[in-house]
Amino acid sequence: MTVAAQQPAPVTTPNAGGGRRVVVHDVWKSYTPGTYAVRNVGFALEPGEFLTLLGPSGSGKTTTLMMIAGFETPSRGEIRVNGIDVAGLPPELRNFGIVFQGYALFPHKSVLHNVEFALLMRGVARRERRRRALDMLDKVGLAGLAARRPRELSGGQQQRVALARALVFEPDALLLDEPLGALDRKLRETLQAEIKEIQRRVGISILYVTHDQDEAMTMSDRIAVMNDGRIVQIGTPAELYLHPATPFVADFLGETNLLTATCLGTDGGHVRLRFADGAIGWAAAARDGVARRIGDSVTVAIRPERIRVLRRTDSTETMIDGTVGGGTFLGRHARYVVAALGGRLVVSVGGGDPDSALDAGTIVRLGWSRDDAQILGEPEAPPEPDQRR
Amino acid sequence: MASPDRAHGRRFYPLMVAACVPVLAFLVLPTLVIVPMALTAGDLIVFPPQGISGHAFADYLGDQQWMQSTKLSFEVAVLAVAIAALAGTSAAVALHGKRFPGRGAVTGLILAPIVVPLVVLGLGDYLLFAALGVLGGWAGIGVAHGVLVTPYVYISVATSLAAGLNPALVRSARSLGARPTSVFRHVYWPALRPGLCAGAVLAFAVSFDEVVLAWFLQGPQSTTLPVRMFTAVQFELTPKIMASASLFIGLATLTLLAQALIARPRRDLV
Repeated sequence: MTVAAQQPAPVTTPNAGGGRRVVVHDVWKSYTPGTYAVRNVGFALEPGEFLTLLGPSGSGKTTTLMMIAGFETPSRGEIRVNGIDVAGLPPELRNFGIVFQGYALFPHKSVLHNVEFALLMRGVARRERRRRALDMLDKVGLAGLAARRPRELSGGQQQRVALARALVFEPDALLLDEPLGALDRKLRETLQAEIKEIQRRVGISILYVTHDQDEAMTMSDRIAVMNDGRIVQIGTPAELYLHPATPFVADFLGETNLLTATCLGTDGGHVRLRFADGAIGWAAAARDGVARRIGDSVTVAIRPERIRVLRRTDSTETMIDGTVGGGTFLGRHARYVVAALGGRLVVSVGGGDPDSALDAGTIVRLGWSRDDAQILGEPEAPPEPDQRR
Repeated sequence: MASPDRAHGRRFYPLMVAACVPVLAFLVLPTLVIVPMALTAGDLIVFPPQGISGHAFADYLGDQQWMQSTKLSFEVAVLAVAIAALAGTSAAVALHGKRFPGRGAVTGLILAPIVVPLVVLGLGDYLLFAALGVLGGWAGIGVAHGVLVTPYVYISVATSLAAGLNPALVRSARSLGARPTSVFRHVYWPALRPGLCAGAVLAFAVSFDEVVLAWFLQGPQSTTLPVRMFTAVQFELTPKIMASASLFIGLATLTLLAQALIARPRRDLV
């Protein structure tokens, strides 16, 4: 069978459950021999799921998306849709809806013709095309603007046209490549909510690429954090935030305190530690599956808002003393820098009650429960593909 | 309030007028003088014309040889434009946004007809066509002109694409299921159309009044209008020359008007 003889996936195929399972399996991408832009990337996008590839620029997240879309060819690995490998197909023969940064609407076509385009390419009859395009425009709340040109629309309306255009042919999944990258914060938040709302209404699975951790946290069911071509950790926003696997993840997803400690022993999923100044405390075991032995030096991450300022009567599993160095009142919470454990700890206190403000020089007792602190690991570099086997 | 730059410019305004007016006059007047000379009542090419009459135009329109040359020039120009439109557009689309070693050389080759001396090109075409035994036909002149005017279409279309084609549009069309032909029709074509029109108009104008190649490649039945005028200037010197020259001025004016209309910025291409 030649490629030219193939048709884009027919639109009538049943597509229940809001998309198909898309599996990326052991995908590598190399542009120059010996260096990899994407290494050993693997994950599954479940039907109806919102999965975000999050990472700094150059981390391989857009390259990964473009390989799924078909604009880049993996050097090795498989991209499976419902179990069928599509890695060898050109983009026009795959069945993904894509929303690009800037939306890339056809400037010379009306909103209706933009949305109809994929159906036209699939040979859907004119009347049916029109009906389905108008139906989709109705779903995104733009039915009244079908005759307009894209440049006559606001940024938010353009995004809705782009979503309608990418959804009208019932794609296997929706791929979004930093669609909000160039917009200001306020508009971003509105459009994030719109994307979520349309996803809820249409019930499609979404793979979303962004470098903005707030965006990833608000929108995603799961986040895959990428760095240096690899997925460093994949999990729900809460898992990643509270139990980061590596210093990179801890640092990339918001502010964190990194502490050095010595391992004193383990108890189930937790580790007893001695900090630099001799204080004893607990933290959750590392997520890398490597057991720490007694005497090992470890890095511990703890979020500023997970550290509590204890009253005289309070008691918790880990308690340490410190001296308040300075504070900033930030409205919903106050942020203090406390000298403790032979270093500086950032502590965030909620409530914002001015009466409970801590003056510089106050001696305070801080504490956290064993699940609030997380021992970090370093992921092992996967072997180069040529060296395997 | 005028900016300092403007004030600065205004100071040199008289100087600009002093420089430009004579140059423009020198360029335009000899052209404009053609039309009254074509309207002479006499049989000589003189200025001022001896009386006013339309007989030069009547002579020109009534002369079968001259009419045949005029028709031939149109045919040649149409063929040349067709070749240039196909070759120039293909080249511009193929090279758009591509980077590869030797790209400069390829571009240079496409643009070469502009810089290669016409006499050399004409002689080369003459020898080639003679060797192939196709010398003396209008199609040969059309092909030679096609090569000559391809760069005009190429430059014009390439500029249009560079300014009006968003590369993300190609990707978005493909992601929606568009194969190469549909990508061309729905993405490239709307972006390159203004450039193609402008380039074609220019190519037509260049071919229509080209003398050197047409001279080398002419045959008994294939003398283009400019070549006939050139010959007539040497041997006949009738006001018919002026009448046909007026036709050129009219065409040139139309060309400029067409260019001005086509070149109007189209906001919907961004």
